[in-house]
Amino acid sequence: MPILVPEPHDEICFREDGKRLDGRAVDELRPFSCEVGVIKNAQGSALVRHGGNLIYAAIYGPREVHPRHLARPDKGILRVYYRMATFSVHERKSPAPNRRENEISKVIREALEPVLFLEAYPDSQIEIYIEVIAADGGTRCASTTAASLALADAGIPMKSMVVGVAAGKAQGRVLLDLGDKEDKVGQADIPCVVVMKDKSISLLQFDGEMSLEEMKTGFEYVLKGAEIIYQKQLEALREKYNKITREAEIEDSAVGNLPQNEQKSINESQNAQDSLQNTSQIDEQMKVQNEKQEINNDHKAEPSPLMENSSAINESQKEVEKGEVEEKSKDEKSSEENIIKSSEQSANSTDDSPKQGENQSSQEEQQLNTENDSPSGDDQE
Amino acid sequence: MMDINEVVSNLEKNYILKLLKQGKRIDGRGLFEYRDVKIKTGFIPKAEGSADVFLGDTRVMCGVKYDIGTPFSDNPDKGVCTVMSEYLPIASPMFEPGRPDEVAIQLARVVDRGIRHTNCIDYKKLCIKEGEYVYILFVDCYMMDYFGNLTDASAIAAIAALLNTNLPGAKLNEEGVPEWDGTYSPLTIYEIPLSISFGKVGNVIFVDPNLSEEMVLDGSIAFAVDEKKQVTSIQKYGNATWSVEEILDTSKKAIEIADELRAKLNLRQHVPQPK
Amino acid sequence: MGIFEKRSKPLFLFSSVQNKKIVTCKSCKKKVKKMSAENKPIREIVTPGQVIATDPGLIAGRGAIKEDNGQITSVFVGLKEIRGKYVNVVPLNGLYNPQIGDKVIGRVIAKTPVKFLLDINAKFLGILKPSDAFKRPHQNRGYPKSMGTYRLPRENDMDKLKMGDQIICKILSGSRTEEPALTSLGQELGLITEGLVIAISPTKIPRVIGKKGSMIALLKNLLHCKIFVAQNGRIWIHGRNPENERLLIEVIYKIEREAHTTGLTDRVKAYILKEKKIRGIK
Repeated sequence: MPILVPEPHDEICFREDGKRLDGRAVDELRPFSCEVGVIKNAQGSALVRHGGNLIYAAIYGPREVHPRHLARPDKGILRVYYRMATFSVHERKSPAPNRRENEISKVIREALEPVLFLEAYPDSQIEIYIEVIAADGGTRCASTTAASLALADAGIPMKSMVVGVAAGKAQGRVLLDLGDKEDKVGQADIPCVVVMKDKSISLLQFDGEMSLEEMKTGFEYVLKGAEIIYQKQLEALREKYNKITREAEIEDSAVGNLPQNEQKSINESQNAQDSLQNTSQIDEQMKVQNEKQEINNDHKAEPSPLMENSSAINESQKEVEKGEVEEKSKDEKSSEENIIKSSEQSANSTDDSPKQGENQSSQEEQQLNTENDSPSGDDQE
Repeated sequence: MMDINEVVSNLEKNYILKLLKQGKRIDGRGLFEYRDVKIKTGFIPKAEGSADVFLGDTRVMCGVKYDIGTPFSDNPDKGVCTVMSEYLPIASPMFEPGRPDEVAIQLARVVDRGIRHTNCIDYKKLCIKEGEYVYILFVDCYMMDYFGNLTDASAIAAIAALLNTNLPGAKLNEEGVPEWDGTYSPLTIYEIPLSISFGKVGNVIFVDPNLSEEMVLDGSIAFAVDEKKQVTSIQKYGNATWSVEEILDTSKKAIEIADELRAKLNLRQHVPQPK
Repeated sequence: MGIFEKRSKPLFLFSSVQNKKIVTCKSCKKKVKKMSAENKPIREIVTPGQVIATDPGLIAGRGAIKEDNGQITSVFVGLKEIRGKYVNVVPLNGLYNPQIGDKVIGRVIAKTPVKFLLDINAKFLGILKPSDAFKRPHQNRGYPKSMGTYRLPRENDMDKLKMGDQIICKILSGSRTEEPALTSLGQELGLITEGLVIAISPTKIPRVIGKKGSMIALLKNLLHCKIFVAQNGRIWIHGRNPENERLLIEVIYKIEREAHTTGLTDRVKAYILKEKKIRGIK
């Protein structure tokens, strides 16, 4: 037995003044907003509100492939799960994934694969989970937009952002970004995903009746709309960090008011002993440190992400390792002692600093060797 | 964020245990202190009722949809309300896509029993024609972010979504088939049941376990408490055993906490205006 | 790469420092202060696909690729930095990439009869073999060398670590396609038996260490705790009491959150002082 209230569908898509029913011009998008970092557990996540669509996307991975037989030794696999909530549509949807959801998962995956460097993740998988909480037409486009945002938020290397937006035709006029109603009444629908770097199209479906001329207009609209959404994507990605920066600035201005004597009192606290030790260690490190390191190296540039796999080195490393263990830790009997000791020596700070210096000095050679050494797996070729 | 993994860290377990024995919690709460609850309702246009509940960082979304169906033969004049839950894989690296497993089903049934046995909904008003047409309510709880204690968060989400529900009215037409009468009205809800969960590690009992506590605890227990200060359902999870005194003491605590929480949340503010 | 150069540098020794305690500490403090106070240029946040340089003389470094048309574009959401000829993008989020010689904190999540499998927060599990995990007692003891190597029975080695144990390890070998092999033999390495391990985004680790260890020193000074920052985003902490540890955890999360901002050390210091006053922590 169906739901009591019938879904409203008027045959008319335009108002008397020539605008669409929601007051938009033919080449105007529905209200769009997006946000990243909305799911704390996920490696990366995004929320997209596009018209009445409310879509969450989350990234997990790269991680081990499960089941194992799906793993590929030459490249990573991307798995997209597009699901609609039972309450996202007019009539309750069954919770089990249906054919439509599986198909959309596949086309979204294929829209995203061209912009990812999957070769850099052999034997692993990246999972994208997309949950449509409220649907209002054009969910596959909005989902791709959300997935692209989530991937960027997760720090997965991408050649470009992608943006999903649809064009279509209703009552003989070419429209941008069809709403649910226009989609149902209209004669044609072209969902597109645009790779923003070169404006190429990586997802394309079309059903309906449209002349090539109209299609051309449709693609023009799509590219125009994609640019607007793209700018909002970038804004959202930056806003996540800019928001924190602004808050920090406010906090900084408050810090300026901190009384001076309070700061002094800390320096001369009863635990000065500890601090003396620690700070003196730093000084020692400074001496140890390579003098070249003048440039601000706060964010230590990640060394080349690919480990060099030379068995000769590994073996000799092992030898060195073992030899040293014999020499240095004869008296370290329990591992507990070991740890306490290590922490007292402010292990990692000492450990890190020489390493930074080393990176710095060897960076040039490294980069000369692998000129385009980005984690993008360029050196695969 | 603690590391999330199915294999519990021994270090974390010992640390949490040590703190609990001193009456402290890893997030600085007291043993019987509930996390902050934030509720947003009515944000899904196509659902009859919806709620988005944050319990600390745990997040559960709930939507209510309805259908017209035939009643159960033993209750021909009563509507039906079914709670279902989905452990969305977006919520945690530990959740996998697929059919709801036994944990998800258990959670749905615990929330369901909390609602059913309090008699919170007037099921008779959900009957359109006795023995033939009744409303079937589907309450779907979606776990959006897992930071512990999904049971309580789902219970709050479910009842908030039900309170937020605006159900289209029905009348029988000439052929005896139900038809929309052009109105919407909220459900009649007499009671607001709340679920209060306690965790147990060793012999320490505490309310509202967070994620890292939930990973290490021996067992937990969930009480559904109604507005008449009665415990209406209990579910024990996990391997811990509970003495009778512990159960009774904890029940008393649950009633106190539920009262406080109910007053603080003021869930009835989410009831929509009848159209 | 890695280990040899590291060894060739003078190893920092605990005893040698104690002698020059007072002299060095003053100069050091000044330096630390000067560093944190200096105004760093605000670096631009770039996004994937964004053109970050068009100058043909520049070379795409980490996190950047050179297009056919000579433009250099970013592949991350990150901070752009130009260092010499190289244009780099430092990602603001991401997974840990194992490097040979890195110290990591791993958790035993599986065992086979001959090895432990450790979750090291990377896409592969780390492999720890008992021979790399436990020190052997002296072999040949009491036997003449001519009798050859006498191997002690090692069947109970696999019982020495339990599931869920956390271990500070060093990465011995491994590659992009190969699971990293670990060792827990060596200075600072071994089983963790007290305190707590917390996890943050591995890309924020350099900021927790701070420039030349300044941040870590600040935390240790103000909160009187032991900290070990592993490269894979996990941080072992052990404080005097739970209140100190609690504040320390909050501060570490604050550093993680605000890692891309400038003047972080000063802000963190002010925050700790403020919170200590509010919470009455000594």
